[in-house]
Amino acid sequence: MSGPSGVGIGWRPEIAGFVAGLPGLRFVEVVAEAVAPAGPLPDGLAELRERGVDVVPHGVRLSLGGAEPVDPARVAHLAGVVAALDAPLVSEHIAFVRAGGLEAGHLLPLPRSREAVATVVANVRRTQAELPVPLALEPIAALFDWPDDELDEADFLAEILDATDALLLLDVANVHANARNRGGDPAALLDRLPLERIAYVHVAGGAEHGGFYHDTHTDPVPAAVLDLVRELCARRRPPALLLERDGHYPPAAELRGELDALAAASGHPVVT
Amino acid sequence: MSGDLAARQAELVAALVAGGPLPPGFTPGPVEAARRALLRKRAGDVARHWPLLAAGLGSAWPATFTTWADGRPTNGSLRDGWDLARDLRDRDALPPLGAEELAAREAASRYDGRRPPRPRRLPALARAGGAVAVQVAGRVRLLRPAPR
Repeated sequence: MSGPSGVGIGWRPEIAGFVAGLPGLRFVEVVAEAVAPAGPLPDGLAELRERGVDVVPHGVRLSLGGAEPVDPARVAHLAGVVAALDAPLVSEHIAFVRAGGLEAGHLLPLPRSREAVATVVANVRRTQAELPVPLALEPIAALFDWPDDELDEADFLAEILDATDALLLLDVANVHANARNRGGDPAALLDRLPLERIAYVHVAGGAEHGGFYHDTHTDPVPAAVLDLVRELCARRRPPALLLERDGHYPPAAELRGELDALAAASGHPVVT
Repeated sequence: MSGDLAARQAELVAALVAGGPLPPGFTPGPVEAARRALLRKRAGDVARHWPLLAAGLGSAWPATFTTWADGRPTNGSLRDGWDLARDLRDRDALPPLGAEELAAREAASRYDGRRPPRPRRLPALARAGGAVAVQVAGRVRLLRPAPR
């Protein structure tokens, strides 16, 4: 089975009608925790599957970077969602979301240490063992660094991907956000990432707030992020790119414009 | 500084969501920005589970929620919104839309504030901020809207 291709969009119930009306659409992503494997698929997703649109489950609560082993029930859920959607692959983050019995409520960064690499690798392998399809790993956006990084971002990622044979879900907006907030040259990072391992790319909007760039997914995609998409595609065009929007949904024409801009920047066919 | 990743992750999460101290070595400004961002994200998540409560508070929603949630770890968006709605009710600060939403939820489910809410099996009448809702066989109706 081949992976996702072309320009896609994150499927959310609020924009299900908009997504259903995209004639050229070939893939969407759905938040894995929002799908019940045993129950009926959310309205609209089943129709997309019947149309042959690939649906990629995107996990957000597995906590692959958590110091404790991944919860087998969460892994089983992910595998169940893959089966329910007949998904070509599944994705999750290089992050942790809970510790010490507390939920953080969002994705938190790991120290870029050998210990953290070993932790992630062990959890990824546990997860892969239960999944019938490839797993793509997404590096996150973070506002802060741990005090004792031993590796830089590219080496940290390379060690994890090499040890697990996982695919890469590269979020270009995260690359932009991290460079803006934590320093570094985003284009130089692209030069060092294993672009041939990219399964697909995330693109999202954000906003400046209190001196930081926040990857909100509720604002328009900034020009700097689209520039980075062009930089990436000039090096190696990824097979698929996906627009993430998680709230403050704009009028349909605006959302179509963002998808068209993504198609234009990447050279993939227009889906609207 | 290596070793015991579990303890260090727990310290960081406690600093971000439970009012814990900043773990050694971290730069305060960026961690504080992340803490504030988490609160704003939670406000959005809870608003999706309690749309009438959030709409009733309007532009005051983000500040109302983040003030209440600051230092209070999440119990999930459903319970967070429920706990906040009850807190506002007890302070006579629940807007009419929020009162109606709370009354409907109270009629539909039993929630003791400590464990996840469970659907009521028996018919129930619930009041909140002047709103009255009734539930029979799982169907909820607003009997009396909250006074405007």
